[in-house]
Amino acid sequence: MRKQAWLIAVSVVAIALGLALLLSVHVLARGIRGAESFTQAVESASFGTVWAINTLIMLAMALFIAQVRREALRVLLTVTVALIIGGLILLILSPQSAAAAYNALLTGPLSRLNRWAAWIDDAISLTLVALAITLVFKAKLFSLGAEGQIFLGALASGLVALFVDGLPTALHVSLAVGAGALVGTLWGLIPAILRAYLGANELVATLMLNPIAALFYGFVLERIRLPQSGIIASAFFPETALLPRLIPATRVTTAILWALIAALAVWWLMQRTPFGYALRAMGANPAFARYGGIRLERVILGAMALSGLLSGLAGSYLALGIYQRLPLAVSAGLTFEAIVAALLARNNPLAVPAMALLYSYLRVGAPIMQNDAAVSLEIVRIIQALIILLFTAEGLLSLWQVRKVRTAWKTS
Amino acid sequence: MAGTKGAHSVEDVLNSIFSATYLAAILRISTPLLLPSLAALISVKAGVINIGLEGMMLIAAFTGATIGGVLQNALIGALAGLLAAMLTALLLAFFHLSLRGDLILGGIAINILGSAATVAIGYQLSGARAIGLDVPPISLPELDLPFLRSVPLIGETLYTAIGRQNVLVWSALLSAFGVAFLFYRLPFGVHLRAVGENEQAAASVGIQVRRTRYIALLLSGLLAGIGGIYMSMGYLNSFSRDMTAGRGYIALVIPALGGYTPLGTLIAALLFGAFAALETRLGSFDVPSQLPQMIPYLATLIALTLYAWRRRQTAHPAS
Repeated sequence: MRKQAWLIAVSVVAIALGLALLLSVHVLARGIRGAESFTQAVESASFGTVWAINTLIMLAMALFIAQVRREALRVLLTVTVALIIGGLILLILSPQSAAAAYNALLTGPLSRLNRWAAWIDDAISLTLVALAITLVFKAKLFSLGAEGQIFLGALASGLVALFVDGLPTALHVSLAVGAGALVGTLWGLIPAILRAYLGANELVATLMLNPIAALFYGFVLERIRLPQSGIIASAFFPETALLPRLIPATRVTTAILWALIAALAVWWLMQRTPFGYALRAMGANPAFARYGGIRLERVILGAMALSGLLSGLAGSYLALGIYQRLPLAVSAGLTFEAIVAALLARNNPLAVPAMALLYSYLRVGAPIMQNDAAVSLEIVRIIQALIILLFTAEGLLSLWQVRKVRTAWKTS
Repeated sequence: MAGTKGAHSVEDVLNSIFSATYLAAILRISTPLLLPSLAALISVKAGVINIGLEGMMLIAAFTGATIGGVLQNALIGALAGLLAAMLTALLLAFFHLSLRGDLILGGIAINILGSAATVAIGYQLSGARAIGLDVPPISLPELDLPFLRSVPLIGETLYTAIGRQNVLVWSALLSAFGVAFLFYRLPFGVHLRAVGENEQAAASVGIQVRRTRYIALLLSGLLAGIGGIYMSMGYLNSFSRDMTAGRGYIALVIPALGGYTPLGTLIAALLFGAFAALETRLGSFDVPSQLPQMIPYLATLIALTLYAWRRRQTAHPAS
């Protein structure tokens, strides 16, 4: 039995390495066209790193399937149906460019190294925010405060990066990241306190805190922006405050490790600690959890503060890793996108990275589609809405008679 | 904006703020808040909070301005907009009540759908140009009340304030009373509140819970739709991307500020409008533009806190 499990693990890793190799060659050589594309890919300086990251992607997918088992089929079905409906809408809107549009959407992110890198970058921020969402949704707290926490996290990191001088690289980056995480946590505590001690609706409170944070961000940015430049943005950060890059000429940074560690840490917290037990108990039935002696106030404070920390970290990552300065809009609705990822992962932290990758793939494909086929990238957001509706509609399951078939299968 | 003309005295500021045109602005700005707030109130009272107001408003605004603009017929445009909003509400109701999907996630999906579909369809209709749809502008008419001028002493002021408001401003004010009438004078209103208060108890006396909630969500969609067409056919005369700018979300808290009564909601919406109108007035003075923009959100947050605190004082709920 144990030997069998070991064998499975080895073969999974071997398959992951193999698929990752094919993917890496495809990305680096712009398609696999026989042996010469392999040699072309191997000659690239970043071949090893790309392969390693692709292996991580494959393992994330394997982990997802291992975590959710049969649910994986449902995710696949939901996304496929949503894509088909989106395709039908596209066919109605612009029949002549629908095929080209879907081709660009589905293959675009793998067509060049920089597009592939954009996919990885986007998946990192989406993973962090989706983990933040998972923490609160697991406790049935509908907090959507991540958006504001991202803005303030980015602002705090940016201010440290710009105005603290004379520090060595490691210290400067750490300080900037720490400032972002801290501010995110504090901003997350505001609605938590309102909810825990006054019973104020966290959904509404966070929706109000988001524009306040964004406006404050704009207020500060207007005062530190470069006056002569045409766009509203701060100066670029000094080299000492930037996250270390893994692949030259892209923005793939060590933040990959943050996403990885965050996913494992949230999983450990939820499944292996008393706090995680309280969190899940509250999500299952708050009245029962309280009756069982769980102090809901503490769970609310803890969950929303940690959620704020992760969102603040996402803000830091966007500022220090992606933009490398403070732009006018740090995040355009990243929270809502992260909800889809968290939802598809069924609020399971170990399944989140795979779903973030899946969803980022569509997000990165969208502008490529708009560019190549002159089709509005908003089609992808329609698909996103369809995914939410299709995936959460419990009744659809019985419509498809899935359960009946399953029980009939078992009893026969 | 935040320029060098800081020489205004406090008196100037106050004079500019408290005037008949300010009152007119309050009514104009309150309308697209009041209508979705009433929509939120109905849905909350029926126990099915409608998070998707923003999306429904956008869909109504887009459909109204587009169809009305192409046909150059404001009435048909408005009706089409309302129909589109109600169909969207029906989608949410079907999703939650018949397919047992999560109401909050469904509402979020409706908002994403409303924002994305209006932009995508506009983009495609306009031939893939970024500037958006180019239909001739169309507006619903203003209601001219010249007889107000003949009121002694305050005639001119009254005429400036309420004499030339859009018909939808008046319909919004009437809707508040209409919702009050529905809630407290009609049997259906009693059923609706009963369903929201205690689902099982309502079902045990023979009220059809699901049907009542379907109607509540449809009514909610209708009111949000009126708010939407006001945005694109009254407040402004064309559609632009995400033009409702979060009003559908703000509307979710205004009923709380108004103590979950229709007339309280009316007052709360006017108060909100007063804050928002203040923001546009202060814009011409030496104040950073972001600070007055924060006022409505801060006010909502404070109102939410006060409401929760008051509720905690009066009753002692379990959670």
